Amino acid sequence: MSPVVQSHGKKIVAADNLYTVVLAVAFFVVLAVAMFVAYQCYTQYNTIFKIQ
Amino acid sequence: MSTLTKVLIVLLTIASIFLCGIVVTYVASADNFKQKYDNLYNGYQAAKKNEDNAKTQLNSTIEEKDRNTEKLGEQIASLDEQINKLKSDLANAERDRDDANRKVNNWAAIVMDFSKTIENNEKLVKGALTERDLKEAELIKQGKELKDTTAALMENMAIVTQLQDESKRLLEEKTELQNKLDQYLRQFGKAIAEPTPVTAVQEAARLTPPTKDIDLNGSITEVDLKNLLAEVSIGAANGVKEGMRFHLTRGDKFICDIVILDVWPEKAVGWLELVQDQPQDKPQVNDRVSTNL
Repeated sequence: MSPVVQSHGKKIVAADNLYTVVLAVAFFVVLAVAMFVAYQCYTQYNTIFKIQ
Repeated sequence: MSTLTKVLIVLLTIASIFLCGIVVTYVASADNFKQKYDNLYNGYQAAKKNEDNAKTQLNSTIEEKDRNTEKLGEQIASLDEQINKLKSDLANAERDRDDANRKVNNWAAIVMDFSKTIENNEKLVKGALTERDLKEAELIKQGKELKDTTAALMENMAIVTQLQDESKRLLEEKTELQNKLDQYLRQFGKAIAEPTPVTAVQEAARLTPPTKDIDLNGSITEVDLKNLLAEVSIGAANGVKEGMRFHLTRGDKFICDIVILDVWPEKAVGWLELVQDQPQDKPQVNDRVSTNL
């Protein structure tokens, strides 16, 4: 997680773990949204996929 | 890790978060169609039940209406009969009312005629009473004259009695003187002649001059049977006087008598008497009137 310091430019660059965290956040957000949608479908129609 | 991969990771994350927000917003605000369907279905079922109830009620109402229609038809028929009966009763009542009105009018006319006749009779009664008073006054006057005449007659009777006594006495004296004269003349052979009365002998009764008929003839010019009055074509110029009685004839048939009440020079009005009940025997215009039949 520590930033990588390049020798020839002294430019601060994010570590690769940061992008892994961003990807994890995106995944959990999508998962939470899917669970919310499934909950709504079940509460309103008593099923998740079946069309009555 | 390459830069492109990092950029893609960041873009993927941003796009995921953006799309997830849109999805959450849509799902949270989406309508509950199942609940709406259930509500509509329940409403439909309730409406269907209401429809069935309404149909049942409509059928029962129609049956009741038919029964009421039949009942009302019967009532209308009976009421029509009553109306016809009442119309006939009304017509009878109107006929009776018209008859009663005609009778009332006839009686009113008769009463008016009677009133006029009563007025005329009252006038005649007043005239008769006045004439009776005059006659009574004349009778009283004649009674007084009769009393005076009776008193004078009694006085004259007394004078006559006295004169008869004196006449008797004179006759006796005359007889005595005649006897003496006879005795005296008998000595000379003579007799006395029958004496002739100096005054003329009066007749016991004298014949009255013969009566002659008036013989007035005329005709009826106007008749008022309600008041029993008639007008005659002859008047005072022909010798008609109040109180005269004329005989009314038509051909050879006697109609009635008329007593003259009022006289003008050319006509006279009189009161009809002995009027007969038959219509053909009622007096008419141009009937002949005369004092002698």
